[in-house]
Amino acid sequence: MMASEEEINLLVIVVDVNPVWWGQQAQRETELSLSKCLDAVMVLGNSHLAMGRTNKLAVIASHCEDSHFLYPGKSWRAGDSGGDDAYSSGDGKYELLSVVNNLIAEEIRKVMSKTEVRGNSTDTLLAGTLAKALCYVNRVSKEFEAGQEIKSRILVIKAAEDCPRQYMNFMNVIFAAQKQNILIDACVLDSDSGLLQQACDITGGLYLKIPQKVALAQYLLWVFLPDSDQRSQLVLPPPAHVDYRAACFCHRNLIEIGYVCSVCLSIFCNFSPICTTCETAFKIQLPHMVKPKKKKLKQPS
Amino acid sequence: MWLADIMDEEPERAKRWEGGYERTWEVLKEDESGSLKATVEEILFQSKRKRVIESHGQVRLGMMRHLHVVVDCSRSMEDQDLKPNRLTSSLKLIETFVEEYFDQNPISQLGIITTKNKRAEKLTDLAGNAKKHIVALKKAVGTVCVGEPSLYNSLNLAIQTLKHMPGHTSREILIILSSLTTCDPANISELIKTLKSLKVRVSIIGLSAEVRVCTVLTRETGGSYHVILDESHFKELLMLHVKPPPASSSSECSLIRMGFPQHTIASLTDQDAKPSFSMSHLDSSSGAVLSLGGYFCPQCHAKYTELPVECKVCGLTLVSAPHLARSFHHLFPLQGFTESPAQELHADRCCQACQGELKDTSIFTCPSCRCVFCLECDLFIHDSLHCCPCCIHNQTNS
Repeated sequence: MMASEEEINLLVIVVDVNPVWWGQQAQRETELSLSKCLDAVMVLGNSHLAMGRTNKLAVIASHCEDSHFLYPGKSWRAGDSGGDDAYSSGDGKYELLSVVNNLIAEEIRKVMSKTEVRGNSTDTLLAGTLAKALCYVNRVSKEFEAGQEIKSRILVIKAAEDCPRQYMNFMNVIFAAQKQNILIDACVLDSDSGLLQQACDITGGLYLKIPQKVALAQYLLWVFLPDSDQRSQLVLPPPAHVDYRAACFCHRNLIEIGYVCSVCLSIFCNFSPICTTCETAFKIQLPHMVKPKKKKLKQPS
Repeated sequence: MWLADIMDEEPERAKRWEGGYERTWEVLKEDESGSLKATVEEILFQSKRKRVIESHGQVRLGMMRHLHVVVDCSRSMEDQDLKPNRLTSSLKLIETFVEEYFDQNPISQLGIITTKNKRAEKLTDLAGNAKKHIVALKKAVGTVCVGEPSLYNSLNLAIQTLKHMPGHTSREILIILSSLTTCDPANISELIKTLKSLKVRVSIIGLSAEVRVCTVLTRETGGSYHVILDESHFKELLMLHVKPPPASSSSECSLIRMGFPQHTIASLTDQDAKPSFSMSHLDSSSGAVLSLGGYFCPQCHAKYTELPVECKVCGLTLVSAPHLARSFHHLFPLQGFTESPAQELHADRCCQACQGELKDTSIFTCPSCRCVFCLECDLFIHDSLHCCPCCIHNQTNS
């Protein structure tokens, strides 16, 4: 069958729907609101599905409390086939596109109205969302037969700031994505994110900080719609300069030369006899102690 | 008489041929319609689960490793019980091993030694870069397998470099031995004593059958000895050595001075861009290419194109922060998930990581966040991801 030889492209879009950031955004200026951002995401999703018959899409919303799959829904639940009729838009649009749009709109309404922001932490749970996205991609790749090639990439649309506590989990996710040959692209709306820059560099994806937020849809279609094979033929934004210097554990300064504990791999800027993280005492090679010679004082004559 | 003494000292172990095979055909059971499908699925399921079981717990690991791989190139490697012959199959598997090794231990080093004709020679020196080893392994497929291997000579050659390594690193030797004989110029028990005093751990993978001297060698030095059943078992045994071993209690801990160079990318349109050679290519005849960007050593400003590398000019080890981050999951291993039958789950039958339906007979629960996962996600989380997706959500909330 011809269909089994076609390559399948899976695009997973992770949207940062941090309500604190979007609320502040609405107060500052009304150029880009959450609904306009999701419109741009739907445009990108529809275009991706229209590019090829076998292309697949998934959209995940990343909140401060949890992450939710906006599309696809849990389609194996009984009684879903009847619901499809309600989604057809009647204007002759390809039915899958209207299903996608309506599902996304319905789910995001549910997410934003029902999820409360509890606790003090208002950072977006990006590492957790990416982990779920990787599990989803892993499941989808296993569902196809051995002959079919599936190429996946994840696009992160980031609004709020980085959370430094997520560093280790983020790095685990990045290495897992690199091993599975999944590209991570990043479209940053507000402030630069060092973690995403590293993710794009290590996995081979694209990082872009959008100069004008209101043109989000244009940037998504220009830069992030073509898949990895086509990117070599386009002139895309140059790669960002990634700062790979490590931060020392004592002062959190970026250092160029440091000392690394051989047991727990913590980085220090100065030599110290005990590692503060794992409390191992280090063997120090002391030079031999030279006893000071007693000098005879010359008596003043 | 001394043979009987040695036999008494050896730990009591029932060999498989002594203990008797269980009746292996009884594992397969047919169901009412006469099909074996359920049993086959069960066997596949168990083999998938086996990989996830072991975990070390809070044991200090030797993260910086110096490993020598000794490959037997004697006449017995031309045997065709592994396709196409033992040598080609072993070299291919060692290539995969080298890639996995540098993936999991980015700040470690590896060297390859071959032995044939009663001699041993170095194929590649101890180095931290995977490419050199893979190129050398690909070239070695054409070597002629002749003569007998020499355990003594190969161990001696490995010791020459390992004894100069600093005390806080782990010194290991992995031998792939296919021949049943070895030709040694001197008494190997002396060498075993030297290995113990230098704290070198020797592990052996045998391709033919168990050899007594290998058992003694690995037992005395604290390594492991296995004999392969078939090619997939060979791969599994090789992959066991990718994880960092528990550090011996006598290894020292010290602070190692390392450099974290910046990656400079320059393009031709920059005014200040000066093309330069990379120091790592000066020794090789090919690959000496002028390039604009690269990593500059913070101490002596020598340029390198790839990390991790040891600076040839000033001796500083250059790494980048992600390389160290790759080893973190060994230090904070993810706990295993508890298995339970799927019938007990009354709530929604959905895996919370991949949103798929829970079709298997068992479900897996994370002990800390009590979220439910399917088998595929459990394998993926423990093999590649090393963190529970739901626990990450709870961590940043607290």
